[in-house]
Amino acid sequence: MTDRASFLAAIRATPRGEDPGLPDRIQAPDAPTELRAGESPVERLVAETELVSAEPHRVARASVGEYVAELLRASGSTEVALTEDLAAQLVPIRTACEAVGVHADDYRVVATDRARASRLHATVTGCAAAVAATGSIVTTAAGAGRAGALIAPLHICVVEETQIVDGLHALFDGEALAGAGSLLALQSGPSRSADIEKVLILGVHGPGVVHLVIVGD
Amino acid sequence: MDTGEVIADHVGVPTVVLFPTCLGDVVARQTVADAAQVLARLGFAVRHPRGATCCGQPAFNSGHDVPARAVARATLHALDDGSVDPILVPSGSCTSMVRLHWRELFHKTDDAEAALRIARRVRELSSFLAEQSSAIAALQPRLTARVAYHDSCHMLRELRIREEPRAVLATIEGVELVELAGGERCCGFGGTFSVRYPEVSVAMADAKLQELEPAGIDLLVSADPGCLMQLGGRLSREGSPVRAVHLATVLAEAIA
Amino acid sequence: MSVQEEVDGTPLPPGWSAPAHQPGAFELPTTTFRERAERTMARPFARTAIAGATDHAAELTWLKFEGVDHDGLRDQAKQIRAHAIANLPDYLEQWIDNAEANGTIVHFAADEVEARRIIAEICVDEQIASVVKSKSMASEEVSLNSALEGAGVDVFETDLGEFVVQAMGDRPGHVIAPILHRTKDEVHALFSEMAGRELPNEAEALTAFARAGLRHAFLTADGGISGGNFLIAETGEVMLVTNEGNGRLTTAAPRVHIALVGIEKVIPRRRDLPVLLPLLTGHGTGQQITTYVTITGGPRRGAEPDGPERTHVVLLDAGRSALLGGEFEEALHCIRCGACQNVCPVYRQVGGHAYGWVYGGPIGAVLTPLFRGQEEGGEVAQATTLCGACDDICPVRIPLHDLLLGLRRQRAEQAQTPRREQLAFAAWGAVWSRPRLYRASTVVGGAALRVLARGDAVSTRLPGLRRWTDGRDLLLRRGRG
Ligand code: SF4
Repeated sequence: MTDRASFLAAIRATPRGEDPGLPDRIQAPDAPTELRAGESPVERLVAETELVSAEPHRVARASVGEYVAELLRASGSTEVALTEDLAAQLVPIRTACEAVGVHADDYRVVATDRARASRLHATVTGCAAAVAATGSIVTTAAGAGRAGALIAPLHICVVEETQIVDGLHALFDGEALAGAGSLLALQSGPSRSADIEKVLILGVHGPGVVHLVIVGD
Repeated sequence: MDTGEVIADHVGVPTVVLFPTCLGDVVARQTVADAAQVLARLGFAVRHPRGATCCGQPAFNSGHDVPARAVARATLHALDDGSVDPILVPSGSCTSMVRLHWRELFHKTDDAEAALRIARRVRELSSFLAEQSSAIAALQPRLTARVAYHDSCHMLRELRIREEPRAVLATIEGVELVELAGGERCCGFGGTFSVRYPEVSVAMADAKLQELEPAGIDLLVSADPGCLMQLGGRLSREGSPVRAVHLATVLAEAIA
Repeated sequence: MSVQEEVDGTPLPPGWSAPAHQPGAFELPTTTFRERAERTMARPFARTAIAGATDHAAELTWLKFEGVDHDGLRDQAKQIRAHAIANLPDYLEQWIDNAEANGTIVHFAADEVEARRIIAEICVDEQIASVVKSKSMASEEVSLNSALEGAGVDVFETDLGEFVVQAMGDRPGHVIAPILHRTKDEVHALFSEMAGRELPNEAEALTAFARAGLRHAFLTADGGISGGNFLIAETGEVMLVTNEGNGRLTTAAPRVHIALVGIEKVIPRRRDLPVLLPLLTGHGTGQQITTYVTITGGPRRGAEPDGPERTHVVLLDAGRSALLGGEFEEALHCIRCGACQNVCPVYRQVGGHAYGWVYGGPIGAVLTPLFRGQEEGGEVAQATTLCGACDDICPVRIPLHDLLLGLRRQRAEQAQTPRREQLAFAAWGAVWSRPRLYRASTVVGGAALRVLARGDAVSTRLPGLRRWTDGRDLLLRRGRG
């Protein structure tokens, strides 16, 4: 069996092609995944969220718990899991859920029981960042777990306005991803497939409905 | 790909060389005659290069560089006549071969310099004609037809000549130019491809031709005899009333 | 071989079991491009669907980059890929060090045989009885499914299209859209047979059927197998893009995650993703970004709520390092977006299977001879018109046209072209390099054609002309028109 040393030695033994060096980040050209000059990050996030078939909501901090609980109740979700990256919103959301009869458990507890995890109606997560130009929510293994955002048919993500970054450059240059753990992930709208005769179907392996609750003061 | 090389401005030079290419010698003789006639009407003295054969592309594109070089060398020597007269080629694909690929083909051979010399002189016919638009307009060209223009792949994507042939068509009164959805898609000729994979090649032609009737096209115009051999041959087999003709022919008819 | 029953209290869809895959050898050595092409071309739906879908995807791609500096982005992407490949041993070593520091167990497969053996052995060691798989072209390259089945492991392809491919015993027809060439009716018939009852013939219902069964597979599988779109050297991570979410679940739900990734997928930094990612997704599906982008670095850590106990990454060489520093090195820059297929006028007619191996379209015509050798795979490099549409769209500016020409040259030099062809070109060269003989040949040839012609058209199916005149007249432009 080939080991590391002989595997790499074989590659090192080949001639070296021309090396143009790495491009200069300063001269990064426009991309569809960056903000255009003068654009408002929040507004672009709202617009892109709609474009990827998710539903944006702008909510005042004080009413996040009730707002989320109402979304859950209205969708008929009774089995719900909450992830730890909800941070300060975790308790208000749980309290509001109980008040309307939605059973909300810690994702950490639910995840250990696969059968139960697969019966979930919804998950509510926070995020590490949201990318305005792509309508993406960024989650981490440390925060929402690997599957927290896509194990259930409905996903609600709570985004603080201060967590919004302009585009992919800002995301990967910035600090948002520090401490992500063993996985970091972008999700942009519901799960989808167009494999069968190009008909777009939402909700294949991940959620069919995604809400972004954008929290401002 | 280097297509940006500065070519000396030949406008006003009275003599031009018209390189018929092998297709022009075998199947598209009328195209060459029409090109010569148009150039003559525009006031050019037209010379045919003695001893020119083929640019070598069929073999080159099949990977057979040795025979490609042998054939191209004959043409190279015939074209390298000591003059600086522009060499006009009524074929986008052959122009691209001579202008861009001969350097590769003759790289590190005794003919490398001559190949560069010729590359600088060679011009695709329609782009040359586009520079003569006002002279053409003075001849009051007139032809009533709904026309679709087919881009030759090598002309479009190697030489980056797109607007020029359209500009020439626009000088003709009565021509209504229609852009087809797949106008820039390959016709399926591809030289030896068309005989290696005849079924695929014909299917590719059909994919283009099916757009003609719904668009009410009378004339399918191109500036490449290869594409025209393919598209015209298929139209003829299918009994279509649409004619596939070279830009030079359209122009010759319009100023007749 | 049934999926473990009733994990969540709802009954399994009837008929659900790991689809039996009919591995079958690749067709490359036994059939010609022409024969394979004809099979797809004989199915009108496949042709229309392939043309429609590829046209649509190409249009979306162009739209996506309207108004931004597309060429500037492509230049940067090309530079990143060229830099990474030029320094491949260093970046690979950096990636391995960082991956191991993350707890990833790294394996080394010099060729496809080794890749199959390594993964089969991981399955034995980890006591894996069933795996869920996320779409991976590398696993197609090594025919992984048949190796797993040989080792007694149940395999579930979880990408909807790949699942259909697997259940039909087919092969994927496109890098990004595996069942481009299949109809809804075919999927309906397949799923209805699996279900043992008539399912509604709607994409939604058919997707729901697959989802239900695959959800069980996700929750019960011991292993998850994926490919990887990039290996990020500075962090030792593997990046995956999917739209369905199956890629993420593959790395999240099972106890063990195994990724099989070609060594050329390495890129230096996460910070290169803002250039590469929009090009990959924009050229793949015309999306700004795919729904799921997953970047994993090893198994579940400390306090994380979920994730695999162990992560294995199998690095695959299989012909890649042989290209380094050579004439065809740029083929390694490919990010497998599929855009060249979408604009290819030949692919548009014949689909992916005609290329006889894993990859279709222009990149397939390049990689097949490179990875399988000229003798077995060289023919497909001839099966293009060299129209150059692929060069214009490739997000990392691979000069596909030049690579194809180079491969044709190599094939001729190795005398792998048919003897008939060699003789024909030699004879042609001998005659047409002499102006007098050339002249004579055009006069004689022209005269012969005129004898055969009716009007200006030759339509006689003569032996020498057959391949032309079967479908087309040969027009002699004697008069105008
Ligand atoms: S060759 Fe270029 S266009 Fe084709 S799949 Fe690779 S990266 Fe995409």
